[in-house]
Amino acid sequence: MSRGAVRAAIVATGQTDHGRRFDASMAEIAREAIDRCLASRGLALADIDAVVAGNMEMFEGIYLVDQLFVGALGALGKPLYKLNTGGTVGASVALACYHLVAAGRHRRVLGVGFQKQSEGSTQSAITTVGDPIWERAVMAGAIGNFASMASTYIAESGVTPEQAAKVAVKARRNACLNPHAHLKMPDVTVEDVLASEMLAYPIHRLDMCPASDGACAIVMAAEEVAAESADRPAWVHAVATAHDQQYMGDSPKRLAVMRSLQAASRKAYAHAGIEDPLRDFDVAEVYEPATYAELAMCENLGFCPMGGGGKLIDNGVTLIDGPLPVNPSGGVLSTNPVGATAMIRVAEAAMQVMGEAGAHQIPDVTRALATGYGGNAWTDVMILSAERPK
Amino acid sequence: MSGAASDTWIVGLGEARTAPTLQDVSINELAWEAVAPALADAGVVLADVTGAVTASQDFWDGRTISSMNVNEVACGAYGSEAKVAADCAQAIGYACARIDDGDQHLNVVVAHAKESEGDAHTIELAAFDPYYERQIDPDETIIAAFQASSLYARGAASAEHSARVVAAARKRSKVLEAVSVEDVLASAPTATPLRVLDRAPLMDTASAMVICSGGQRRKLDRPAVQIVATATRAGAYWRERDDLAAVPQAAEAVRDALEWAGWSLADVDLIELAAPFAHQHLMLGEAVGLGGGEALVERFEHGEVNDSGGWLAGSAGSVAGLHSVVSAARRLRDGNGHRALICATSGLAAQSYHVVLLEAAT
Repeated sequence: MSRGAVRAAIVATGQTDHGRRFDASMAEIAREAIDRCLASRGLALADIDAVVAGNMEMFEGIYLVDQLFVGALGALGKPLYKLNTGGTVGASVALACYHLVAAGRHRRVLGVGFQKQSEGSTQSAITTVGDPIWERAVMAGAIGNFASMASTYIAESGVTPEQAAKVAVKARRNACLNPHAHLKMPDVTVEDVLASEMLAYPIHRLDMCPASDGACAIVMAAEEVAAESADRPAWVHAVATAHDQQYMGDSPKRLAVMRSLQAASRKAYAHAGIEDPLRDFDVAEVYEPATYAELAMCENLGFCPMGGGGKLIDNGVTLIDGPLPVNPSGGVLSTNPVGATAMIRVAEAAMQVMGEAGAHQIPDVTRALATGYGGNAWTDVMILSAERPK
Repeated sequence: MSGAASDTWIVGLGEARTAPTLQDVSINELAWEAVAPALADAGVVLADVTGAVTASQDFWDGRTISSMNVNEVACGAYGSEAKVAADCAQAIGYACARIDDGDQHLNVVVAHAKESEGDAHTIELAAFDPYYERQIDPDETIIAAFQASSLYARGAASAEHSARVVAAARKRSKVLEAVSVEDVLASAPTATPLRVLDRAPLMDTASAMVICSGGQRRKLDRPAVQIVATATRAGAYWRERDDLAAVPQAAEAVRDALEWAGWSLADVDLIELAAPFAHQHLMLGEAVGLGGGEALVERFEHGEVNDSGGWLAGSAGSVAGLHSVVSAARRLRDGNGHRALICATSGLAAQSYHVVLLEAAT
């Protein structure tokens, strides 16, 4: 958590059209997001001082992928950092961009996250995070993990499958307003979600995120050049990272009580002066790989009392026209190119602050929250605002 | 390109054992074997540490998110950890940024590798273009051989020069037996013109240090070494390089770091270069500005460069740069030098370069 020695802001974002991208290679996907990002502000690669890249290598099976794609990433001859932190990686890249600018190292840093899941085996790769003796057989992949966690969450909070299904409906309908989203389902209903294939109790197919191909890029700029690129930069007010214990058995109520999300968000809130997150944020982009996760995250972020996630969606608080829209972009439930997914949360929050979210723009956004989530409940938090930090 | 000097300090140093196989420890325990003495050296405990930057590679660990193996021993649960997938010299640069912008005050930097648990050829093959290159079954040694051929053909160095670099490193090694120049030149050929002993052997090892802000350093009141500047630059993928033996981005990274520190190369009295192949040390030495040919080789033999022995004396991918930094910091702290330059590499054919400048506390 910090405000940094140098004020920093996101001044540009770019995304691919996410989905099954059989028309483009991994390198082309990454470059597509970079080109869109730079073109949105009339920037060129020559304006970029450093590049931070994020990709989970074992998903497509390319070791040292940043070195192979150095040209496509626009990083030849520049500082090129490669991070891989799991589901959080896109947000970890955004945080790294921030730190490199805030510390005075560089004036403009390009962050890019990319993944082409259609060329790999997502579930096989995710399964390797588990203990080979105790966990891999019973909680394979993201589905197995979330099934286990959601079962505990249901028992702890009393949240219902119907309430979770409402999250799925919200996400897939919001995605229809987002030209980049993967899953767009304008007519999906709660009944459709509950009738979809049971993957692992209580997770139905429509409760889970898809496996997408796609990329996202941002430009983080120092105050001295931020105004050159954006009329309304998205200023970084706070960042924070926390991870939980490695194995699920060490934190058995991982979804019901998200200790890393609580720790990171409270640090960031304190730093940014957030007293009542439901009141103080105008929009939130949270990393919800499953419907139940969004409900639990809303509780752990303090949008409602613990155990109140179901009631929150019942009351429409997090709908796109509610008091605190959560994931107006359609969220992870609609788009999930893992290396980019958490950066999409950051980019979408920045777009809302900059007033550039198009059909899913929330009116009058001043302050936005973005989170990343991944292996061992790793949490990244970034708070963005239209107001320059003091 | 902007840049800034750093006000980050090394207050604790720790190293795990280095051996071809360490079957008595898990990866987690191996990392702790380095972190624990670093914490003790700094006079702090794990609970004092608020964050960490780690370096490791998923492919070598055989799992995605390889830092999950170590983040609990690096900064405890709920700490702020970030993982860099490159040589740890780059991770040091990122860790310094997190300190210098005020986000972190007391952090661990740790790198680990248990290369005995991986199959080098299979892993390295995965670094090649899956469509056009993997079918011919290349690995890092084969590309390094192309590079050495280019270097030797230019007349800038010879196989004997490289062998002398190996012999100089092994003479200083604490974990590998000494070898002669003749031993190197007579060792089994791997890919012409390289031989087995031209490449650093695979190792299990870890290294760690505790770093902090200037303010925290004053509170701790421990022997300290300043990280004055860091820099990193990426070169082209091996197939896209006009001359594999040319490493212009290494020279640029060194120039960046020196400029940000306000130093010249003449101000540096301790130099460590970290690369997996002997001939790459000669390329790096020339790029750093140490000259070439016979005179450069003699610098290695006299210990003016790589007094620690470097990667060829026993280290591992991800860890080698940190090993060099820890070794140099220890020497500076002991009064055996004033300023140090460390240049480490990542990638096939030493594609990317990471520079760290250290200065003894006055």
